[in-house]
Amino acid sequence: MNFAIETNGLSKFYSQVRAVDSVNLRVKPGEIYGFIGLNGAGKTTTIRALLGMIRPSAGSVQVLGQQVGPNGRGPWSRVGHLVEQPAAYPELTVRENLEIAHRLHHIPDKNATARVIEQLALAAYADRKAGILSTGNLQRLGLARALLHEPELLILDEPANGLDPAGVVEIRELLARLAHEKGVTVFMSSHILTEVDRLATRIGIIHKGRLIEELDAEKLEALRSHRLEIRTRDLQAAQRALAKAGFAAKANESTIFLNDARAIATPEEAATILVNAGTPPFRLAVEQEDLENYFLRLTGEKT
Amino acid sequence: MNVFLSAFWAESLKAHRSKISLLTTIGFLILPLAGGLFMIILKNPEQARAMGLISTKAQLTVGVADWQAFFGMLSQGIAAGGAIVFALITSWVFGREFSDHTAKELLALPTPRWVIVGAKFGLIALWILGLALLIFVVGLGVGTAVDIPGWSLALGWSSFWTVLLTTLLNFMLMPLVAWFASMGRGYLPPLGWTILAMVFANIFSVLGWGDWFPWAVPVLTSMMYGTRAQDIGLHSYVSVALTFIAGLILTFHWWRSADQSR
Repeated sequence: MNFAIETNGLSKFYSQVRAVDSVNLRVKPGEIYGFIGLNGAGKTTTIRALLGMIRPSAGSVQVLGQQVGPNGRGPWSRVGHLVEQPAAYPELTVRENLEIAHRLHHIPDKNATARVIEQLALAAYADRKAGILSTGNLQRLGLARALLHEPELLILDEPANGLDPAGVVEIRELLARLAHEKGVTVFMSSHILTEVDRLATRIGIIHKGRLIEELDAEKLEALRSHRLEIRTRDLQAAQRALAKAGFAAKANESTIFLNDARAIATPEEAATILVNAGTPPFRLAVEQEDLENYFLRLTGEKT
Repeated sequence: MNVFLSAFWAESLKAHRSKISLLTTIGFLILPLAGGLFMIILKNPEQARAMGLISTKAQLTVGVADWQAFFGMLSQGIAAGGAIVFALITSWVFGREFSDHTAKELLALPTPRWVIVGAKFGLIALWILGLALLIFVVGLGVGTAVDIPGWSLALGWSSFWTVLLTTLLNFMLMPLVAWFASMGRGYLPPLGWTILAMVFANIFSVLGWGDWFPWAVPVLTSMMYGTRAQDIGLHSYVSVALTFIAGLILTFHWWRSADQSR
């Protein structure tokens, strides 16, 4: 098995709408794959197709080396999933909801439910009805259900949705641990790009149904633009001095930006110029474009 | 078998914890209790008037106070009321997966979808049978307490089988309700369909074609001792069986193949 997930020309059309258009995904075992896109870009439709919940209009889907087909055929005992908003039977407790998943997954380990309750910090809510859980705890329940059978592959749609900041960090660390220690492949969609940025080893960007970019985290690092940011007491004098030295300086109300490769490579040169001009910088830093800006630039949402 | 039992256990737990199991039981229990009240009134209408149980202007022409009339009331109640209550149960068992957005948790599992659908039908069958038996047993108790005349073991048995047959026929109409709940992703489409089917059942019965219309067959069957009994024949049961098969095929096929995009 070369890929944990492989799609070839995966397409889904709803009448005239091309929800997903010729998507070729390749997710290697052990990878944490961040799947990002705007609302309506086709993330959830792709995830539903990966899980055999919708029939592709064209193309094929292979998950863990097995063709995903009609009648829910697929390697589902080895796959954990969370699709869109987590759902649970409201009149059942957290434990009972997990017991149902436990039975339907035919898990031989009798302690599996207790283990995920502990793992997802749900012990205090284990006997509470799911209908009165907060969004964050409902999300934890959804993640617990995805992890219950210790799957080789996790397909998670917005796993950080509804979690508080501490919960976001906790889930990020849990997913990273599963990938690094147990070799679990994680395919996660998210619109919280900082989360994807911190966690993913590979990123796919989907826009208007098409996979417009797929790259490793290292390559993304290189592709992101850098700039030198300078803050000083007299912006106009500083800008004049930098221009005189041949730098193309842009500025807003508080900061000067230098995009030249020379400025990024030797920021001390710019510092010397400013000191000599009598406007020493009180902040000078080479900043890397974040994933959010890269994404917006790539999708044309921001120039 | 273990796979089916696991799915059946899951469905039973959902039903057990829901309020609908209690509500349908209480709702259906009105039937033997109301039947008992009618028997008291029919046994002695003047005394009932004096006690204020009925208006002095009431004209009671529904029949005589005996076990045959009482059983007739029960089986007709199970046939007509059951069509609504059983459809409510079926709509809940299938439709709640969509209104609670839990259907997506049932699709990518090692338990095949057809097993889950089969377990749902198994639960509905047992639930419906349990309700019908409860009504019959409570009816026997109420009838004995009210001291209705005209009891015979043969009548008791034949009424019991009529109740079972009526319940079975009603159950056989449920797969189509399940399909409406699945396709319509909720409660309203199947309940709308049930009301429409009941309206048409009445129209067809009035026109004299009820024996050909599956949704009229359970009520006509429940009148085995009435004047309409002669209408029911093999063709009536075949129409119900065809509806049953069509409902099963549609529901299983829908769960197997339909896009689950919500």
